[in-house]
Amino acid sequence: MLSLKNIAADPPPEQKSRRVFDGSFLVLLVLTLVGGIAVAVVSGWGRVGDILLETFGFLTILAPKIGAGIFIAATLPILLPRDRVGRLIGRESGVRGLVVAAACGAALPGGPMMTFPLAAGLGVAGADMGAVVAFISGWSLLGLNRTLIWEFSFLPSDLVWTRYLLSLPVPVLLGLAARAVMQRRPA
Amino acid sequence: MNILIGTVLIGAGALWLWLQLPNEEWRKASYRASLDTFLFTAPRVIVALLGAGFFAELLPEDQVRQLLGSEAGITGVLLAIALGPLTPGGAFVSFAIGAAALKAGASPVAAIAYVTSWSLFSTTKIFAYELSFMGRQATMVRIIVSLPIPFVIAGIASLLG
Repeated sequence: MLSLKNIAADPPPEQKSRRVFDGSFLVLLVLTLVGGIAVAVVSGWGRVGDILLETFGFLTILAPKIGAGIFIAATLPILLPRDRVGRLIGRESGVRGLVVAAACGAALPGGPMMTFPLAAGLGVAGADMGAVVAFISGWSLLGLNRTLIWEFSFLPSDLVWTRYLLSLPVPVLLGLAARAVMQRRPA
Repeated sequence: MNILIGTVLIGAGALWLWLQLPNEEWRKASYRASLDTFLFTAPRVIVALLGAGFFAELLPEDQVRQLLGSEAGITGVLLAIALGPLTPGGAFVSFAIGAAALKAGASPVAAIAYVTSWSLFSTTKIFAYELSFMGRQATMVRIIVSLPIPFVIAGIASLLG
């Protein structure tokens, strides 16, 4: 069993700051500004104000959940070092290895800037291509933090349940498919 | 109700995690990382939600219903799958767009197909992160084996009604 607890004597790992403004944020910002101006032209600035109020009202309701989710996304990686997850996935094999990889992908919070470096390190820890694909797919399709914070907030719950349950076996199946593809290729 | 259940679950997870922090130094590091993540996430969330609100207002309902509604059938689902990879930004952007489209008359199956396709093939994720960390071969293998998934999931979802 994987233990979260570090020895209290160890210092916490150093954290790197991320740039707040990057390309994808600027794209989002420009699209939103264009959308806002378009709404103002079509329906007037009053409607823009209504949408602003609605959005900030919704954000206020979401705030406790977003706050707790951000705490989890920031703290879990400190307590659960990457190499430990890598070793856990790397030492398993067979279908069990794929299940462990998919479950780790689903359980670990964080965006692509956390997930892909970890996935790239899995090979070093002994995982095969199947486990890497199962891990990335588990994170993409079944990420718990994302589904609990965002998906259930925006989309109707029966729709979210349907999507989630149908996607449940997919990461393991994709891992098996990736193994089959790799076996056909000359090494 | 959804929001309340999610808040309780996430809150319990956060509390449990906080109890795992062994001492003051670890707690401080956790708060610093949380603040950093907050400063990164908050502007994106606010801008994405506002953008989704504006675009929901601008989306012509007749056309959304015609293109992505239940009557659009397979064509609507195919269009939804094609739109997934083109969505810029993080998860809340795609969920907000899915919610806006549902409100404007898109079918639930189209929304499921869209979210699944975005999850697997978001071009932001693939070009900004996956190719550089995983390399071309691993990325291609994952994409190729994943190609049928949105179609299969949408197919089963439409059979379920």
